[in-house]
Amino acid sequence: MFKRLLFSFVSMISFASFISAQDNLPNVKIKSVKKGKEVEFSSIATECKDTVLIVSFFATWCIPCASELDNINEVYKDKQKEKPFKFIAVAIDDSRTSQRVKPFINGKGWTFDVYLDINSDLKRAFEVNDIPHILIIKNNKVVYQHTGYVAGGEDELFEKVKTL
Amino acid sequence: MKKILLISLCVTAVQMVNAQSMDLLSKGHLSGSFETYSQLYKDDNSIGAVAPPSNIGSNNFLKLDYTYGQFTAGIQYESYLPSIQDYFSTNSANALNGSQIANKYFKYHEKNFSIQVGDFYEQFGSGIVFRSWENRPIGINNATEGVNFFIQPTDFLKIKVLSGRTRTLFSYSNSTVRGADAEIDFSKWLNKKDAVNPVSLSLAGSYVSRFEDGYTGPIANYPQTVDAYSRRLNFEVSGFSLGVEYVTKGADPHVLNKQSMSTGKALLINTAYTKNNFGISVTGRALSNMDYRSEREVVSADANQLMLNYLPTLTKQQDYMTSNIYVYSTQALNESGLQADVFYNFKAGSAIGGKYGMKLSLNFSYYGALSSVDNITSIGNQNYFHDANIELKKKWSKMLETSITYQNIFYNKTVIQNPAPDVYCNVFAISNIYKYSKKKSIRLVLEDLSTKQDGGNWAAGVAEFSFAPSYSFYFSDLWNYGTAGVPYYGATNGINSGVHYFNIGGSISKNASRFSLCFGRQRAGLLCLGGVCRYVAASYGFTATLTTNFGN
Repeated sequence: MFKRLLFSFVSMISFASFISAQDNLPNVKIKSVKKGKEVEFSSIATECKDTVLIVSFFATWCIPCASELDNINEVYKDKQKEKPFKFIAVAIDDSRTSQRVKPFINGKGWTFDVYLDINSDLKRAFEVNDIPHILIIKNNKVVYQHTGYVAGGEDELFEKVKTL
Repeated sequence: MKKILLISLCVTAVQMVNAQSMDLLSKGHLSGSFETYSQLYKDDNSIGAVAPPSNIGSNNFLKLDYTYGQFTAGIQYESYLPSIQDYFSTNSANALNGSQIANKYFKYHEKNFSIQVGDFYEQFGSGIVFRSWENRPIGINNATEGVNFFIQPTDFLKIKVLSGRTRTLFSYSNSTVRGADAEIDFSKWLNKKDAVNPVSLSLAGSYVSRFEDGYTGPIANYPQTVDAYSRRLNFEVSGFSLGVEYVTKGADPHVLNKQSMSTGKALLINTAYTKNNFGISVTGRALSNMDYRSEREVVSADANQLMLNYLPTLTKQQDYMTSNIYVYSTQALNESGLQADVFYNFKAGSAIGGKYGMKLSLNFSYYGALSSVDNITSIGNQNYFHDANIELKKKWSKMLETSITYQNIFYNKTVIQNPAPDVYCNVFAISNIYKYSKKKSIRLVLEDLSTKQDGGNWAAGVAEFSFAPSYSFYFSDLWNYGTAGVPYYGATNGINSGVHYFNIGGSISKNASRFSLCFGRQRAGLLCLGGVCRYVAASYGFTATLTTNFGN
């Protein structure tokens, strides 16, 4: 078994060795919770140009995701004054909980833009395994990723943004 | 000599192919992800854990996607060495042992048009008539293999058409599924340009058909084709929204509905109202004979296989250990009920909110039987489940945050799991996060579940130390301090109360990768994620997971 696992790892690494970064971001459609309209993800990223875009994948049923976004919501406007960036959250809630997303984010008092990715198409296109998962995009390229959240993770994120 | 020539020819050919493929690869873009979930099992008599013959379970997924302009192609390689315990089936003889490319697809995509050939995930409306999707923790991958076509000829009309067969484990259903869905958006005719509060209204309909021949049983007029129809309405204005879906399904006799020739029906109503710092949402659903599968021979031991539709459990997914002892699971054959949520944010600086604000979340859900399965609006007297809960989250200072949860639960164990007395219980949980330096924090959780029925009371605790953003270590214990003489109706009857289900573990996250390792005991029961549950037997041992991605 371990030989087979090892084989999987080695083939994966050799694949990874000749992969270059993505030039075009996925043109998957996501739905704006506020406006109710579908937009292509790539157009959001393109609009940002060289301004940093932070994308946080979350779901209303994911406790660490809500903690992370509560903490980010508290400070992100102050942080934007230090260095401008755009912050969006993408809910991967499927039809079980997607109806709750709008009441949930308003009831939380979150002020950033939230989008719905009901069939997880964007999540799959970005090869996201688990949530919470953060992507930082600049000039149409993913320049940083982080998966998982523990208290204080948001400080690390904004430190990273400063260096970009 | 000939051999050498042949070998060198082969090598040259391979190199040429390689050079070409490398050239192609460098023009396009390759990305992927990898996930492994592996367990090492040990016997443990005190919780009734019996290790499988191999002592090991390992699920591995490698996903690769290649994009070139408007084209995307991809595969998912899956390796079960063998599959983890109770993953695809509670019958250990059905564990999967082997590896193969399980999903493969080719897609052409434009802004208002796409066609996908191979294995695809798709959903019509809320999924009551059709959803093919993947839920790895629960062991669901019912991707449809075939053709999936999408077109948006004008900005107010969307059409989906598909045909194929359903994936199950490493093979496919012996049936053909065909479906179509159309949605018309009336909003552009209802609103003036630059309306402040635009009205959104859409109507939609879906049709799904399953064809399976080869029936040799005794029932006359046995339906080879089972059709399902859905009609949907969505309305939204300002902070208010309403969604209604009504579904009918043809007669579909199978093992799970005891070869019933009656038709299926479903009704789903969602409504929500929200404004700044406040939100309320109410969902009602009724189901009658809605277990809709790709094959009629599916047996209950493989309850999550070959599903054509998606009927999630509409209750709040709790994160506490004791909250997850009595979890509801959808009763597709006969169910009616509702769920309501209220969210409120006491703003920072307000009298109740204090300096950092306070968040309130109320949730209530109730499910029971219909009084008549022929009448989708007839609410019956038999109760299955209720959960009334409140959660308060308050930040006291930059360093300390507390979250308090109370739940009152009724659980009809006979209907949801196996014959056993009804359970009434109260759950109380408190969680504190103390961030004692910029990167270091401690999380402490204390929980209690009290009940006079079933296995009696449970208590639980978690202590977790985190070093942001990468490291985390925890110790947890779930303790059954049931009243003496009350048997615990777990996986194995006769498990003594007083058992400690301890766990110790940790995780490391770096960029897009995460590794975790834990050791301990797993309680027998329903494991639910994404609104779907699978039954897991008690287990004891090590669990290791690794997830990563590349090429983003």
